[in-house]
Amino acid sequence: MTKKPSAGNKKIKNYPTKAGVKSTSSLLKKHQSGVIILELPTELYFESNMKTLHGLLQNGYEGLYISFQRPFGNLAQLLPQKGISLKKLLILDVATAFAAEEHQKHARCVHLPPNFAIDDLSRAIYTSLEQIKIKKRFILIDSLTTITLYKPLSEVMRFFEFLQETVEKQQGVLLILNVASELTQKKFIKDIAIAADEVIAV
Amino acid sequence: MTSMNEESLTEELSGVPEGQIILLETNAEHSLDVSLSAMRIITRNKKATAIILSASRPCTNLLMLYQKNNIPIDHLLILDCICKTPPVSAKALTNIIHLGDVSALTSISLAVTESLKKITGSRLVVIDSINTMLIHNQPSIFGKFIHGLLTRMRLVGAGGILLSLEAETDKMIRAEIAQLCDKVIKA
Repeated sequence: MTKKPSAGNKKIKNYPTKAGVKSTSSLLKKHQSGVIILELPTELYFESNMKTLHGLLQNGYEGLYISFQRPFGNLAQLLPQKGISLKKLLILDVATAFAAEEHQKHARCVHLPPNFAIDDLSRAIYTSLEQIKIKKRFILIDSLTTITLYKPLSEVMRFFEFLQETVEKQQGVLLILNVASELTQKKFIKDIAIAADEVIAV
Repeated sequence: MTSMNEESLTEELSGVPEGQIILLETNAEHSLDVSLSAMRIITRNKKATAIILSASRPCTNLLMLYQKNNIPIDHLLILDCICKTPPVSAKALTNIIHLGDVSALTSISLAVTESLKKITGSRLVVIDSINTMLIHNQPSIFGKFIHGLLTRMRLVGAGGILLSLEAETDKMIRAEIAQLCDKVIKA
């Protein structure tokens, strides 16, 4: 893991953002593991997210896609259109659980019950990550701010701490936290950015 | 319309009947024109049934505007969030449901979900408008409502148009909603 900015770092107020990273490949040259916050352009959010995901898989990664924004069925329809194979992904469908709707059964989809607790979510991530046997693994959170629509900030921070610990304990796991660029000024995002290895504007 | 003519808007909205969800932003001056153009486009080919969630205008006013602008109503279901009871002129119409309270988000969500289940074939939801609904609801609660609604729409493959006034919406909630959409269009 690369060096984390300390709390005393003056840049924290406007945390260190590396603008202009053109591809996921250049990101992966620098970070094979650790915690990265990706600032995605709000109006091109989904397209940018798909490019990141595509880049990760192209670079030999397999991982967990924690989908707070879209249900599995929607992703299963759109990902192949973007050239992304579901075979290298496990999708944790949190969006459907948030909406308290029925899940679609699929080998690549991990379900959560409606009204789940953050501990249930953490457990699901931990057990799903164990199913991915290769060395280059990632956890993609899509997105950090969407969780806060349903869960209190204290729980979201606790969730982040769990993710951080998981990345530290398990070797070679890259944690990517997506945030829409216009939402990066939220205080809790700044708090999380302090603990991240890098914040990258896409 | 401002920067976009109806032909360009037709192109931009072409994916809606297939399940695309679009945030359609305009300015206050042109909002009615843009809204009517969007309605004209989505009803033109009768490809899909449109559920209109109207928080800006009562059903009688909408019906009058649709008639004046040659917008057929046979493939529309209007969820009127303003009138509590049907006005005399709209009593005979079966494709209007009166919800009567823009702040009753649970009832509105249930009405949309039930309507999506009842309608067979291609369907889409038009929310008119984000700004009006935000006058009556707290942004954080409204964000949760939109997320839940969009998830349910995606689960059944329904498309959507979310009408919004550019620069009038709270920056944070606008970003939260925009990132959930497939496309943002400024008309």
